[in-house]
Amino acid sequence: MRRLEYVATTAAQGFWRNPVMSLASTFTIGLMLLLFAFFLATDRGLQAAVNVLESKVELALFLEDGARVSDVLDLRARIEADPAVSRVDYITKEQAMARLVDIAAKRPDIQIVDTSENPLQASLEVKLARAQDAPRVTAALREEIGKGVVSDVVDNPQVVDKLLTITRVLSFGGLAVLAMMLIVALFVIVNTIRIAVHARRDEIEIMKLVGATDWFVRWPFILEGMLVGALGAVAATAVVLVAAGPVMSAMVNFIEILPLSFGQTFVWQLVGSVFALALAVGGGGAMLSVRAHLAK
Amino acid sequence: MVALLGRGNQLITLDDVSKRYPNGTDALRDVDLEIDSGDFVFLVGSSGAGKSSLIRLLIREELPSSGRVWVDGQDVVRMKHSAVPKLRRRVGVVFQDFKLLPRKTVAENVGFALLVTGHSGEEAREETERALALVGLSQRRAHFPDQLSGGEKQRTAIARALVSRPKILIADEPTGNLDPVTSWEIIKLLVRVNELGTTLLMATHNAEIVNALRRRVVHLDHGMVVRDEREGQYAA
Repeated sequence: MRRLEYVATTAAQGFWRNPVMSLASTFTIGLMLLLFAFFLATDRGLQAAVNVLESKVELALFLEDGARVSDVLDLRARIEADPAVSRVDYITKEQAMARLVDIAAKRPDIQIVDTSENPLQASLEVKLARAQDAPRVTAALREEIGKGVVSDVVDNPQVVDKLLTITRVLSFGGLAVLAMMLIVALFVIVNTIRIAVHARRDEIEIMKLVGATDWFVRWPFILEGMLVGALGAVAATAVVLVAAGPVMSAMVNFIEILPLSFGQTFVWQLVGSVFALALAVGGGGAMLSVRAHLAK
Repeated sequence: MVALLGRGNQLITLDDVSKRYPNGTDALRDVDLEIDSGDFVFLVGSSGAGKSSLIRLLIREELPSSGRVWVDGQDVVRMKHSAVPKLRRRVGVVFQDFKLLPRKTVAENVGFALLVTGHSGEEAREETERALALVGLSQRRAHFPDQLSGGEKQRTAIARALVSRPKILIADEPTGNLDPVTSWEIIKLLVRVNELGTTLLMATHNAEIVNALRRRVVHLDHGMVVRDEREGQYAA
């Protein structure tokens, strides 16, 4: 207990002995963590959006009016055999018309004046399990056009493509920026602790002389680094929690398709990840610094 | 860890030890030395004779270029890095420049040696009081180093070296910064520590003290032991 008290007191003293440097590194690590939190939240939001859209990805195969039912069923069975396909629905001409009537009833800008003739085609609606497979499946199905069953294939992959591109760019770009921030934060921490080590070099010399273990010498500095990290994490978390609401509603308004609402679990995961990274960077940086000194 | 069997009463053994620094200086050359438990040994010689190098080998601040060193039954050269702290707890060291922490009181400076080696606060307090009583500084326990005289500073350093009850006390020029009267006070204290059972190795070039005490004298010159006498004299 006394040992813990000694380590904790020494770490706190170290932090306040050089407040400017300690607060500068707290600020830097806080910024890095804020970026990390933003990156995590955005990534999670986009992943959720991609999942929602993926569940909606559909291809429509419009069928020739004269196509034989047996041929249609055979085609359906072949499509269903593809592992990328999750479901195939057969929509008759009548069902298509019923849908159109239904949609028209809800929208004042569409009016159907004559329903005595049905110009709509029967179709097969193909639901895909993963958006990435859409181009391949579409290409395969387009080859069926002109063989007497399929008249046209309609897909709507643009939205998904865009979203996947955004996710990819954000993932790589975010990781690159995060990596740079991580290096900067480590550099600042290492220097802060180096100054702390220098300020206490006489104490360290005596500690080693009287038989303190390397770990006993290291722990106060590691704890000091973790303290810097933890304070940065507190600042970053506070900013995230305060700003999360307004930023999210702005994003939902801006990108209407994103269903951005995070559960309580995600918030805790986010806070946990931010603190874990903060302690790892703070403690790790301090360890690098003090190890270099002890190795002299 | 190599236990020394059949080495009798020896607490320190140097066997054919040489130390050459990277710049080519030969600090020690073929040194053979045995110090028994309970001995009081003066290590004499002019500056640069190798006294401090020999002391640094004993607390494993440095390793010899060749030869073997045993302290309290342990092979200092071959011991693992992790075993060094335990060695240093058995060997107290006092320096000419005291090495006290200016922001700590006398009692804190002494207790520091125990707190940083994992002892409880209660243990540290008790042992600190014992050590301060031994060196006669109980009344000065709450003073800071800059409020002490040179002799009191050195007594504080001796109390810190003794607080973990080491078997050996090494004093590297402990009177180097002190006036003759204070030097004698420190020497009397070291003699008393030795009489209480701690083996003492003191590096000095103070001929007056060496010649007055008539203890064992090991004379180093250019890194070599040139004289080793039971009741020696030192003509500086």
